[in-house]
Amino acid sequence: SQQKDPKEAIMQQVREAGAVQNAKLLKLNEHCFDKCVPKPGASLSRGEEACFSQCMQKYMDAWNAVSRRYVQHIQRESGA
Amino acid sequence: MDDSNLSISQAELSKLSDRDKQELQQFVVNESQKARVQQNIHNLTDMCFKKCITSKISSGKLDRSEEPCVLNCVDRFLDANNLVLKQLEMMRTS
Repeated sequence: SQQKDPKEAIMQQVREAGAVQNAKLLKLNEHCFDKCVPKPGASLSRGEEACFSQCMQKYMDAWNAVSRRYVQHIQRESGA
Repeated sequence: MDDSNLSISQAELSKLSDRDKQELQQFVVNESQKARVQQNIHNLTDMCFKKCITSKISSGKLDRSEEPCVLNCVDRFLDANNLVLKQLEMMRTS
């Protein structure tokens, strides 16, 4: 994306540097691979794919629950 | 926050107005704080998913035992954190 304004360009870089998206996907894959593919075969079976789909949703659900609880703690601690 | 990909030249920085520099400084402080929170959520989710989702996956939502486990996990980890700090302080002053 072309940024003409140098300040905006810097802000975008800082935003991207802080994004935890890649780490999240890596962990998600690790966990779901662990649970859904106990013995890797010659390809991923349809059952394994379905398990992945559910596992991913479950991981996102867990992320949201953790996020809500953690933010509550921070707000309480800062007296907000 | 991972700084290894930032490519801002000194020349670019020196061209910014004082007001822009101040705005950027505040922005960096805020974004760092947000990134720290996200990183903590990431680590907590990793830990608590491992501890709480132990049976075969049969749905896309946390079930009736998994959800309280995850919430307890966050609470207990933060309690443990405080405990560690307290113990360290005692060890330091005795």
